[in-house]
Amino acid sequence: MTKHLDTNILVIGGGATGTAVAWDASLRGFKVVLVERRDLTQGTTGRFHGLLHSGGRYAVKDPHGARECIQENRILRRTHAHCIEDTGGFFVVTPEDEGDYPDRFKAACDEIGIPCAEIPVREALRREPLLNPRLSRVFEVPDGSADSFLAAHATADAARRAGAQILTYHEVTNLIVDNQRVVGAQVYNVATGETFAIHAAMTVNAAGAWTGKIAAMAGIEVLILPSKGTMIAVNHRVVNTVINRCKLPADGDILVPSHTVAVIGTTSVEVADPEPLRIETWEVEKMLAEGNKLVPGLSQMRILRAWAGVRPLFQETYTGGGRDVTRKLALLDHEAREGVAGFLTITGGKWTTFRLMAEAAVDKVCEKLEVKRPCRTADTPVPGAEQGHYWLGHRLHEVEEQHLQSELICECELVTRAMLENAVKRNPTLTLDDLRRDVRLGKGPCQGGFCTYRAVGILHEMAQAGAYRPDADAWDAAFLQSPGKNREPLSVNRDRNTDYSLPNTAPPSPNLLLRDFLQERWKGIAPILWGKQLRQERLDELIYLSLMNADHLPDAELTSPSSDFYHYDATPQEDANA
Amino acid sequence: MLDLLVIGAGLTGLTAAYTAAKSGLRVKVIAKGLGAMHWGAGTLDILGYLPGEEGAVKRPLAAISQLPDGHPYRLAGDVAGVLATFVALTEEIGLPFQREVGRRLTQINADSENLLLPSPVGAARPAFAAPVGQLGGDLSRPEPMLIVGFTGLRDFYPQLIAENLTRQGYPARAAFLPLAVVSGRRDNTAVSIARELDNPDQRQKLAQALRPLLKPGERVGLPAILGLDDHMQALADLQGLMGTAVFEIPTLPPSVPGMRLFRALEERLQRLGVRVEVGMEVTGANRGWRPETRDSQSPISNLQSPISIEWVETETSARPLKHRARAFLLATGGILGGGFESDVNGRVWEPIFNLPLTAPQKRSGWFRPAFLDPQGHPVFNGGVAVSPDFRPVDGAGRPLFANVWAAGGLLANFDPILERSLSGTAVVTGMAAAQAIVEHVKCEP
Repeated sequence: MTKHLDTNILVIGGGATGTAVAWDASLRGFKVVLVERRDLTQGTTGRFHGLLHSGGRYAVKDPHGARECIQENRILRRTHAHCIEDTGGFFVVTPEDEGDYPDRFKAACDEIGIPCAEIPVREALRREPLLNPRLSRVFEVPDGSADSFLAAHATADAARRAGAQILTYHEVTNLIVDNQRVVGAQVYNVATGETFAIHAAMTVNAAGAWTGKIAAMAGIEVLILPSKGTMIAVNHRVVNTVINRCKLPADGDILVPSHTVAVIGTTSVEVADPEPLRIETWEVEKMLAEGNKLVPGLSQMRILRAWAGVRPLFQETYTGGGRDVTRKLALLDHEAREGVAGFLTITGGKWTTFRLMAEAAVDKVCEKLEVKRPCRTADTPVPGAEQGHYWLGHRLHEVEEQHLQSELICECELVTRAMLENAVKRNPTLTLDDLRRDVRLGKGPCQGGFCTYRAVGILHEMAQAGAYRPDADAWDAAFLQSPGKNREPLSVNRDRNTDYSLPNTAPPSPNLLLRDFLQERWKGIAPILWGKQLRQERLDELIYLSLMNADHLPDAELTSPSSDFYHYDATPQEDANA
Repeated sequence: MLDLLVIGAGLTGLTAAYTAAKSGLRVKVIAKGLGAMHWGAGTLDILGYLPGEEGAVKRPLAAISQLPDGHPYRLAGDVAGVLATFVALTEEIGLPFQREVGRRLTQINADSENLLLPSPVGAARPAFAAPVGQLGGDLSRPEPMLIVGFTGLRDFYPQLIAENLTRQGYPARAAFLPLAVVSGRRDNTAVSIARELDNPDQRQKLAQALRPLLKPGERVGLPAILGLDDHMQALADLQGLMGTAVFEIPTLPPSVPGMRLFRALEERLQRLGVRVEVGMEVTGANRGWRPETRDSQSPISNLQSPISIEWVETETSARPLKHRARAFLLATGGILGGGFESDVNGRVWEPIFNLPLTAPQKRSGWFRPAFLDPQGHPVFNGGVAVSPDFRPVDGAGRPLFANVWAAGGLLANFDPILERSLSGTAVVTGMAAAQAIVEHVKCEP
């Protein structure tokens, strides 16, 4: 082994939890390396509805999980303010939601300390005119809408500033176990093909739905119950407030305003593997049918996209369905459990409780390493939080105020060329999907129809100019999504503690970038293609086949580390049980 | 009363209207919006690929025999003859389609080979003929290409084009000019620059800026910006000033070549007395039957002999308007053109006459797994089945109406985008259907 890294703590997983563990541990003075096999947030963190829970959803059934939610809700509004839109939330009682649940709900919220006020239905309808007018009761709670992409970047950036190394596209191929102790991991850089070892005093497994797979490398069985949740985005922001059905959690009972769209979710389906995640026809139909109960006519609106994430549910002895598993965090001390030292697993929980999960994990790390270092994350806003909560029109406002119309590469999501270029420098960019997660490229109504070509052209120009290389100074996630703040060249000077510089990966073939992203977009629209969106899709075909002839370009044989991930059959199938 | 009401203002509708009007029919064109011309490359694409086959089609007219029965070209009969009529029309309107620069296209036959022209991503796209402005890019020519873009123009990437062309054996290099050379506007598209270049002074400035970039022996490829209303003169001026071949490469929509063709055709139709009225969505037809009652039993299925349509109704300026005609040509363009609607239950329907469609009526039958599947997606292969004279037929092949014809992208049994026949099938079926209509109207008392 020619090359290896030494660190105190190795974190496996680049989602909300993993980045927060890296942040927490580096704030406590540990040397940290985080490895993620693909891009940050490519797992469940980038595949949920973006709901910042008040805890109301779990108040009746899972008070412990609910308590964690409201506590963390309050903290994240400070530490990650700019990653949250303060929408507030309603719990609404529809004609189908009978019984004493609303009263039990209110009592449980009061008991736990979740601010919950019943408001007149008339008032709720005044604020949300598209809501079902036949609601009987409405409760207001402090739910919010969160940008989990930005939040993970912001957390990772904070970790970096505290000295952590964040290595995306680094896959753990094996854990190094020495005498019943995990002492690090073998890592494969999927971009360069390089393999090396990372040695660490403690290894924290924060791999989400892939937790069991990582633990198995140390011979440990962790029973994760992968539960698929499917969501769909409606091409209108039909509500400005998070809407929950006031009943026991079930399918399709949450509607979240998210940037310019609204997201309805979710299903809960046990799956054998966390990927690929097929979206079944019944799931789409169910989301639309349930959505109609909250917003009549929702099923007739244009649907933009469907996606699914996997909840990494954990239960010691699993008996019931996915909805019955507690949503509180699970910290597994493998030394106490299986006699394997140097190794912790942090799983379960919710996006809302990611910081708390990290705190629990790093507390345990301190205990294992026999040091006393208090957690600081709850009182340390990440860079960018000083901007306050984001609001729906901020991008348009900046574009208009600064006359950036000519810079727009993605008109649907108001992405400028400079945003794109800076994002390329921030992270190893192996696919345009990486940029989608960074700056929302291709997320709008045309689903990449126009911006795919433009982004490919721009990335190719950057490569030709030698500008397609990571620039550690560009690692400023605070303004990742700001058209106005990405105009000046970034020049952030800060102390860095890196003995493994960002891998200088070769720019990918533009033709591969194009093909990959077209297929990536396709897998998310195929389940919901009909009506206007089907016509839009046909226009995309006209552009990429008839006009571009993009299916007859060089490099047809090349694949990216994510190509396989995009290539599964996402098209609607006959339901087996229909 | 009108002899023919054409519904749809794409290439199909306009060429059909021209054919019918030229034969003396009184014709009007109504459409909800503009057709696919404004999106495409603006070339005449007859057949670029046979579904499932890797290589481009070399001789498209000869390859028609390999197309499945029921393909629109197989119905049209004399494809070469119809195409010759279209080429003559392009000459008439001052935007001649050719296959070789400066040579009138007179011979179209089974030996005629596809051209290969540079696409906006640098692929070699097959086309049968093109406006002369694009012909300088013919990839069979030996001269190396200088592809010039504009810094900040988001719809054209010369380095990408040049690299892909070079890698395929077509030598090309790229250069940039500042947008300020051709435009004082802050936000530009190919269309806004094309308008600038309708002005001869701007052409001078462009040529002046281009000249130092050029190496001897090179031809110059630009985005399709050489004038909108005065294209031929803009092209001639620039070639004269540069002393070399200058050609256009189409850009992302909106398509300047497509807009030129639309405008020129519309003007020609006006001179023939044909009005093209855009902004008119057909909302109903006679016999008290409206398209939105699609769930009910089709009123046409139980009839013994085909009925005639007396009028269709449009919603215009908040009032219904009836359009009566002896014949109706439906040229609304299928899913792409907006001629079909579809829903979550997998239904695909034609909303004006509720014509039966061959498209699979369940979503599980619509798609193949890969976006770029070489066989395409079945939903886009479905459409209106027609008789050899382009009348919509029922399952038994009997015409559904006595006076309704259909042409263009809404026809069944082909995928015009997959096989690169969008403009070719539009022209051939539009003109052939119009011929059939002319015969019908003239035979009627």
